[in-house]
Parts: sequence; structure tokens; C-alpha cells
Amino acid sequence: MIGHARLLDELKKLVKRSPADATSVCADAERLRVSRFAYETIHQDLVQESLTVTIKVVANHRVGIAVTDTLDRTSLQRGLRAALEIARHAPPMKNLPPLPGPYEHITLQDHDEPTANAPAHHVVTSLKPLLRLCQGVGATLAGSWVASEEEMAVVNSNGVACYAASTVSGAKLVTMYRRLSGYASGVERHLSRLNLEELLERALTQCLSRHDPLMLPTGTYEVILEPEAVAELVTWLGYIAFGAKSFQERTSFLFGRIGEPVMARSMTITDEGNDPEGLRQPFDHEGVPKQRVTLIDRGAASGIVYDTTYGLLYGHPSTGHAQPPDQTDGPLPTHLFLAAGTKRRDELIRSCRRGLLIPRFHYVNGLLNPREALMTGLTREGAWLIEDGVPRRPVTTMRFTQSVLEAFQHVLGVSKERRLVADPAQDAGCAVMPTVHLAKFRFTGRSESA
Amino acid sequence: MIFFPLYLMMNPERLPKSVVCRLMKDLKRRGVDYADVRFERLLRESLVVENGQVKPVSLFETAGVGIRVLIRGSWGFASTPHLLPSFLKRAATQAIDLAKGCASINKKTIQLAPTPPAKATFRSPWQIDPFEVPLSKKLDYLLWAESTVRGPKPIKRVTAHMDFTKSAKFFASTEGSEIEQHIVESGAGLEVVAQQGNDVQARSYPNSHHGAMAQAGFEYVKQLDLVGGASRIQREVLQLLRAKPPKAGQTTLILDPTQMVMQLHESCGHPAELDRVLGQELSYAGGSFLTPERLGTFRYGSKQITIVADSTVPGGVGTFGYDDEGVLAQRVELVHEGMFTGYLSSRESAARLGLRGSSGAMRAEQWDVPPLVRMTNVNLEPGEATLEELMQDVKHGYLLSTNKSWSIDDRRLNFQFTTEIGWEIVNGTCGAVVNNPLYTGITHQFWQRCTGVTNRDTWRLWGVPNCAKGEPVQLMHVGHGAPYARFDGVTVAPAR
Repeated sequence: MIGHARLLDELKKLVKRSPADATSVCADAERLRVSRFAYETIHQDLVQESLTVTIKVVANHRVGIAVTDTLDRTSLQRGLRAALEIARHAPPMKNLPPLPGPYEHITLQDHDEPTANAPAHHVVTSLKPLLRLCQGVGATLAGSWVASEEEMAVVNSNGVACYAASTVSGAKLVTMYRRLSGYASGVERHLSRLNLEELLERALTQCLSRHDPLMLPTGTYEVILEPEAVAELVTWLGYIAFGAKSFQERTSFLFGRIGEPVMARSMTITDEGNDPEGLRQPFDHEGVPKQRVTLIDRGAASGIVYDTTYGLLYGHPSTGHAQPPDQTDGPLPTHLFLAAGTKRRDELIRSCRRGLLIPRFHYVNGLLNPREALMTGLTREGAWLIEDGVPRRPVTTMRFTQSVLEAFQHVLGVSKERRLVADPAQDAGCAVMPTVHLAKFRFTGRSESA
Repeated sequence: MIFFPLYLMMNPERLPKSVVCRLMKDLKRRGVDYADVRFERLLRESLVVENGQVKPVSLFETAGVGIRVLIRGSWGFASTPHLLPSFLKRAATQAIDLAKGCASINKKTIQLAPTPPAKATFRSPWQIDPFEVPLSKKLDYLLWAESTVRGPKPIKRVTAHMDFTKSAKFFASTEGSEIEQHIVESGAGLEVVAQQGNDVQARSYPNSHHGAMAQAGFEYVKQLDLVGGASRIQREVLQLLRAKPPKAGQTTLILDPTQMVMQLHESCGHPAELDRVLGQELSYAGGSFLTPERLGTFRYGSKQITIVADSTVPGGVGTFGYDDEGVLAQRVELVHEGMFTGYLSSRESAARLGLRGSSGAMRAEQWDVPPLVRMTNVNLEPGEATLEELMQDVKHGYLLSTNKSWSIDDRRLNFQFTTEIGWEIVNGTCGAVVNNPLYTGITHQFWQRCTGVTNRDTWRLWGVPNCAKGEPVQLMHVGHGAPYARFDGVTVAPAR
């Protein structure tokens, strides 16, 4: 861990040394432990330490950005020189927003020392009982385990100096039994709260069956989507529609529809970077505190997220959703919440006469027609056919091609229970999602695996 | 404290070979069964111009050492950006501790297929160093190309980009390999997005998803002629707003080389990765239908289809001298005249399957992650027909170009793609533009329906700069070369 004192000190010194009209520096540091296993073998065990320092300078209305990967003075100075050189050659930019600030904030509230310093043998010790349980029922196990420590800091020449340190641990388990497989994932700030046995039980429940998987005909089905599956769809909505850039380009389905109903009234989608139920991140890459933004309010198109650039364009303050300065996707929501409903998950299943229970989707692509949120993707492990309120038979992989807007207009129920969904081995961001029961979901293809 | 000597960063030709070799000796002394150490320095420049404004112009640099050790048949990996002995020793100890921990649980011990130790240097060819071209010249060119597309009201966004990378690597292993590699890549492109009502259309030139990239210098960007392509995509994106979608049904498809990139990538490259086949991607990307018992016996496609993984092809972004575990670059047939004949493999996975040796496909995104089995340049070999000959007996069908969306199941069987544009073919002649074309199929059934492949003159090599795999995810540059190919009886539909 670099620590707030050193990280902020180095960034402040760099900003002070900069001759530019305005300078903003953000640092993302991570120490990541990842173990991957399959068929009783850990085939990858690694520790990765990374640091990204992004330097943005503004000189005579010209912007330059350089990225480097160490905190040593030589490297930072070279990065600053490169950013200044880029700015010198860049054409002047219209409508440059002023740097945000002043804002000072230091937090370690989501940092857990034992998670940050999990010993090398931790995963081995944790994995042994899982393997024994699997062997006992004749199943095999694959998956991954992650423990990471992250630090983020932003300093600028307008008085921003903020730092947050956090930890996160997670696991993904895939269980295999005969021709079936099951899946469960979990994420916690504290490694000690990561309940691998509970995850294993959830995954095994999906695959321990005497039945061979059914290959169902294509067509429209009722579906009960579990939190991981809902998260996949809502995250895609975030990417194609909830950011100011897609709104400005008019490719967002929210454009021209603010205030109009676009989903069922039971759907309220927010972005909540400060909610401890998610993987909170108190500020964005410009050093602006995260605001709670209502994107869909009881089914109606409500709002989008901004950074300072798009905020200036729309006369709206930044909502704290800036991506790192070298990214070009514009502001994006990264802490998506779907409001909880009133029924229990089991009640949703019991209320389904005939439909599919889907734990997660695979390879969803939401670029087919973003104005209609037309997406395609596939079921993966653990999908079951529900008949008369009971999951009766596992089913083989099915492909959907569906307007998610249309699907979310026909909501039969939303669960009380919500689950945090995130993949700590991949990019930052998370979703807190309930289980959702939809009346109509169009499946257009099928495959062999289950 | 000085971490990197300044001269190392200022002179990209200089590599800390003595530091790496000392570390190698230390690892041997500490009793590892095998180890390799990879130093890498990477410089990446990205320029984006959008709607007349220069978006972030960024320069990214990184350098460090990755250490991979094998102890009692188990791997451990750690890395450090610092070359001081204390940091290197700490990283080596981490890797050793991880490997020992894994060895206490692993029932199968990892063996490595043999490979001869090499002492070699590889340099990719380039004429104009893109990092020496003045920034203002590059930006002026992008602004010019981008402005050529803007104007008509439905056009909401035009983006022009250039991407350059330069990497220098030094690999050493306890088996005696010492390999130095210097690689330069260049790429550029344009994208236009138009919107009218609920219809959104996009066109890219010369390929989508930053696919116009090559192991080459700035001369490659000049050859792309962005300004020349700009007026074409402006015209086409407006045509797409007025066009109709294809008729749903089973019909004949001709895919151009830009769409063949994604078809090869998803339905041949990924399923042929042997680590996937052995279950090592089950928690993330999935498995593969190309299971070991199918090797040499499974009909993957029609006789027209020969697909190779070729890391020796000039200009490919999957080309190198040696892979990231020191195996010589090679050309391997994955599919020979329709039969499934080979895998992309590593020394570990090749040994697991009892193959003669690795196919040399271990690649790491950069120094801080271990190599994985990755695609190199996965190419469809050309046939003999001309495009006119391929079309002449098509009564009704579509010619599709430039990938828009992509999706395939976790065993790589059921795929679905949309392309940016298509043209209806009627009685052997290409006619009206169609929008939102979607086609879908099952991988081996689709390839078995291939009834023609065009000749060498039409073959074109592209790249995929963001092939995601592994945990933590690694984004790899991989190459795909293809001609036009014709497929009969394919399910086509409008994307809606």
C-alpha cells in the first residue's frame, strides 16, 4: 500500500511543479491476488501490483494527457513534460470547463487490512473443503478467487486533493455434474465475510440433477432473472444510454423521452457511488464527489450522469461520473442500483406457471440498436425450466434477441432481496440488483451445453 | 530513490539484460524447477479527434519485470516495476511462495513440452517510426479526415483515431533462453454515427473496432488513406438511414474480409485455444466444443476451409519471433480442408495432451501478467475464385461488411453477428444497400456451408486490438487475415 500521505504528497508536488494554466493528476493503484482453478488444480496464482498516474494539463486552452506507471520523480516529471508537449501541439479546445474544486477528502472506511494482506496459502486453505464437498457428491469444480487492495487519488491545481483506499474480495465458482453445470459468485469488502461454502451450495443446487438438460424450442418465455443476469442487462443500459455522451449523440433511448414512461412502474434505476451496499467510490477521476442520480424513476426516463465537460455543455453540474481523462466514452454510471420490490425470490418462482430461471447471461451485446436497447446474449450455467412454480428441468443454452426496454415494460415482480454483483478481477464498477420476473423474453436460438 | 535508470527510458533499444540474467541465476539458486523472467517496456500513443475537437491525446508508458516459477509442478507469478535488487527479490519470493502453496493442493503436476533454448533477436520491420512523426502532423491529418465526413444533419458524431505502440522485451529462462524483441504497431480509422428518429446507423473506415492496425510504422497509416475513405462512409451512413433491412430467412451470404475477422476470431480462434479446452477459462470466458477427442477426426468446415494460426506472417499484430515462454514463432494449421487438425497451445497444455510441442501461442498483455494461450494471426487461407465468380450464381443473397455486434455461447457454438452494412445480391449482381443485417448459426454447421473462398488478391490482414481473456483480464492484439467467403443456407434476419 502506498498510503494517502505519500500518494497525495507526490501528486501535489507534481501539480505544484507544473507550469501549465491548470493541472489535474489522478492515480489508481492496485495490488491484486488472483487464483484460478479447474479440476482440482490451481493453474494460475498471481500477485499483480499496478499503478496508473494520469496527468492532464491545460495550457492556452490546449489539453495534453500522459500516463505513467511509477511514482518516482523522474517518471512523473517525464509524464508531465509529455503532457505539456502534447498540449503545445494540440489545437485549442472550445468550451473547456474549469477544473473542479476545492475539495479535500481522505477515507479508508472500506479498507480491510486482513483482505489486503491475505497470506499466500489462504486460497489453498479455503479451497480444500470445497474440493472435498464436490468430491463427496461426484461433482467437479472450477473458478477463481480474488483479493485486492485499491487506492485512488486525485489532485488538481484548483484545490482538489482526495484519496480513498479500499479492499475487495470475490469468488466465482463453476460446478459440473454429468452434463450440467452451476454457477455462483460473491463479492465482499472483507475477505472474512466471503462465504465460499454458501456459494458452492448455490452452484451445486443448479447442477446436481438426475435429469439431462432439455433443449427447448425458441420463442417467447416468461423469465425469472437472478441478480447477475439483471446486472448484465442494466450495466449495458448504463453503457448505451445513461451517460451524457450517448445522450448528446442522440443514440441513447433516453434522448427525447425524459419524463416519459419507458419501463414498468416497478423499475427504478439509480447510480449511487456512495452507498455502502455497493462498492462505493466517494469521488470520480476529476475529484468530484459522487452524486446519487436517478436514471429511471418508477419507469419514467429521469436523468443521465455528467462529468465537467458534458456538464458545461448542458448547464448541469457534474454528477461525479468522470472516467479517467484518457478515456473517450464520456461519463458513465458505475454503481447501478435497481430498487428492491415487495416479493421474496421464492415467491416469484412459485408464481411462475411456465418460464425460465436464469442465474446469469453470457456474452451480452447491446450494440444491435441502442435506441431500442436491442440486445443479444445467451444463458449459461444453471438455467432451469420452471413449471407450476417449481424448477423442473435444466435446459440447454438459449440465445435471446430482445429489446430490454420492451422486456422491462412487462415486469411481473421484483424481489425484496438484492445482491451485490461485481467482478473484482476485471474493471471497477458494481451493480446491486434484485431478482426480476419478466412476462416476455424472446429467445431466438439455442445451443448444446448446459 | 532511483527506480529506473534514466538512460533505460530514454533509449528504447537498451534493455536491462544483466539485471534479468542475475535474477535468473538467483532463481536457480533458490531451487525452482523452472523459471522465466520477462522484462518489457511499452510505449503507447493514442490520438482521438471527434466532431472537430481534439479529444484526449495520451501517451502511456510502462516498464517492469514479470517472474514466473514452476515448483513441484505448480506455477507462481509475481511482478514489479522496480529493478532494484530488493524489489526483484521480493517479487521472486512472492512467486515462489504462491507456487509452493499451489503445490500443496494440486493433484496434477504441470509438465512442460520441450522447446530448444534460444538466443535470438527479433525486430518487426517499419519504415517511419510513428513516435518520431510530429504530433501536429498526425492531428492535422485526423482533423482533415474527420472534417470530410461532417456536414449532413443526421450525422451526430465523427471520430478519427490513430494508435501506436512500441514495445521492447527481454526474455530469459532457466533453460538458457535469452530473447530480445522489438515491435512497432500502427493503426488508424474513422467512425461516423448518424441518427434519425429511432434509427441509429454507424459506418467505419477502413474497419470497425480499431481493426485497421498492423505491425508497421507510420507508412501503414498513410496507406490507409483516411481522407479517401471519409466520403465513402459519409455516403453509406446516409444510405443506411434510408435503406431497408434484409428479409428474414435462410439465404446465401458473402462475408467480406472485415466481417470475416470477427467470424474467425469468435468461432475458430477462441475455441482452438487449448487452455480453454482444458477448462482453465471456465469461470470467465467459458470452454470449447473442440474437445481433444475431436482432434484430427472432426469435420469443422467444408473442404474450402483451411485456417492457420500463423505468427510469422509479415505485418500481423499477432506476429513475433518467439512467444512469451520462448517458443519459436510458427505456422500451425487449425483446420485443414475442413478437418479440425490443431490447437493454439502452450508448453503446459501441449504436454497435457501429449502433443509434440507447443504451437507457440503464449502471450502476455504486458510485463505484469503471466502469458496465456492466445491467438496469434488466425487466418482463413485464400481460395481461387474472384469475387465476381463467387457472386455469379447467387440467385438471392447478401454481401455483408464491417462488424457491428458480436456474441457467441460459452462453448463457441451458437453465434450471432450484425454488420454495419449489407448489399442485396440478386442474380449475381450486388444491388441495394440493406441496414441492420443480422446472421446467426452454429459454428461447425456454418463453416460446413462454405461454398467458396476468393483468391490471394482479395485476402486482407486486419487486427483485433481488444481480445479479452483471463483473470485479471488481458487485452491482446491479435491478427486475422481473410478473403471473401460464401456460405449457403444461413439464417439472416433484420436486427430488431
